[in-house]
Amino acid sequence: PCTGQARSYYVDWRMLRDVKRRKLAYEYADERLRINAIRKNAILPKELQEVADKEIADLPRDSCPVRIRNRCVLTSRPRGVKRRWRLSRIVFRHFADHAQMSGIQRAMW
Amino acid sequence: MKVEVSYRKKLQELKTREIKKQGLDSEGSMLQKTTEDTQRGRPLNPELVEAASAVASSLTLNKKQTESELLAQLRRHEETTDKQKKGGTINLRNVISEMAVKRQSPAQRGVRISSRISLELDENGQRIKPGRLSPHFFDSRRSLKVGRRLNIFSKASTETENALETVSSPTIWDLEFAKEIAAITAQPPRNGFEEMIQWTKEGILWEFPIDNETGMEDDAEFHEHIFLEKHLEDFPKQGPIRHFMELVICGLSKNPYLSVKQKIEHIEWFQKYFEEKKELLQEI
Repeated sequence: PCTGQARSYYVDWRMLRDVKRRKLAYEYADERLRINAIRKNAILPKELQEVADKEIADLPRDSCPVRIRNRCVLTSRPRGVKRRWRLSRIVFRHFADHAQMSGIQRAMW
Repeated sequence: MKVEVSYRKKLQELKTREIKKQGLDSEGSMLQKTTEDTQRGRPLNPELVEAASAVASSLTLNKKQTESELLAQLRRHEETTDKQKKGGTINLRNVISEMAVKRQSPAQRGVRISSRISLELDENGQRIKPGRLSPHFFDSRRSLKVGRRLNIFSKASTETENALETVSSPTIWDLEFAKEIAAITAQPPRNGFEEMIQWTKEGILWEFPIDNETGMEDDAEFHEHIFLEKHLEDFPKQGPIRHFMELVICGLSKNPYLSVKQKIEHIEWFQKYFEEKKELLQEI
């Protein structure tokens, strides 16, 4: 099996970076959870907690979940994204008007 | 109706045959056979029975006899079709040889009758055509394995397979060949149905009704989730670490989303971590 670069097409580089961050965050999720459990503690000695602080700072920066941005899946728009559909408001409106969103109807009351 | 129009010729033929039948003494044997047939398991299609009674009534001579004989033939025919479907040998010849009088093959007559009458519907809504093999079987009265062997062909020599040749690793050409074959055999789906079949094979399509626990098989029982103290044996029994680990265990036991393995992994990680930090702890 020939190994090489796997190239796919994301909408733009920012989306690619977001994808990388999500992958790393998934990998390091357990470790971060455990180290934070040691840090946010009233029982363990403070020296241990300081050591834990340093350890978590040593982890790669992209592994923290705070850096993930919920972008639009189709246009990579960082703002105006509805969580349920992972789409930006413009794309959502486009699909809804063409009746391609299941169960979505224009509001009228 | 189509049935009535095409019936007339066949009815006339049947009439002449019935007359010949009545002249002979074989009626008794036939009637006996019918009584035997009625005792056999499978009841006939009620529509066939009705059609047989209609035919018998249209023939003015001896309605009951003709009806019973027709029904007997139908039953026999259905038996033969069942046997053919199951792949068993046709014993009609034996049946006929037992009968006293030689007749034009009753299977053929049965075919003609039931081919007009068959209103049975298949799964697709098409009529079941009676098995056509029975008349043809009578034409060829030879079987395949009777007679002397001609010895023209020699038996296929069983190829002695050598010991499996060890292949170190599949070469690139083999891989390419395999890929080519896979690409050719995997035809694009002709249907929406075939597409869905492909997706279910890949695991993309969910099974309906949706089961929330697909892929999650937790074979562990509740006590393995809750009573996690047995994993705490390696920890010191007093001190802040023990206190901390007991809190960890309390939290894990209340967590329904993790499997037992994951919980054990958490505890083991803490174990390793505290062992590494032993020197630090002893300073304190």
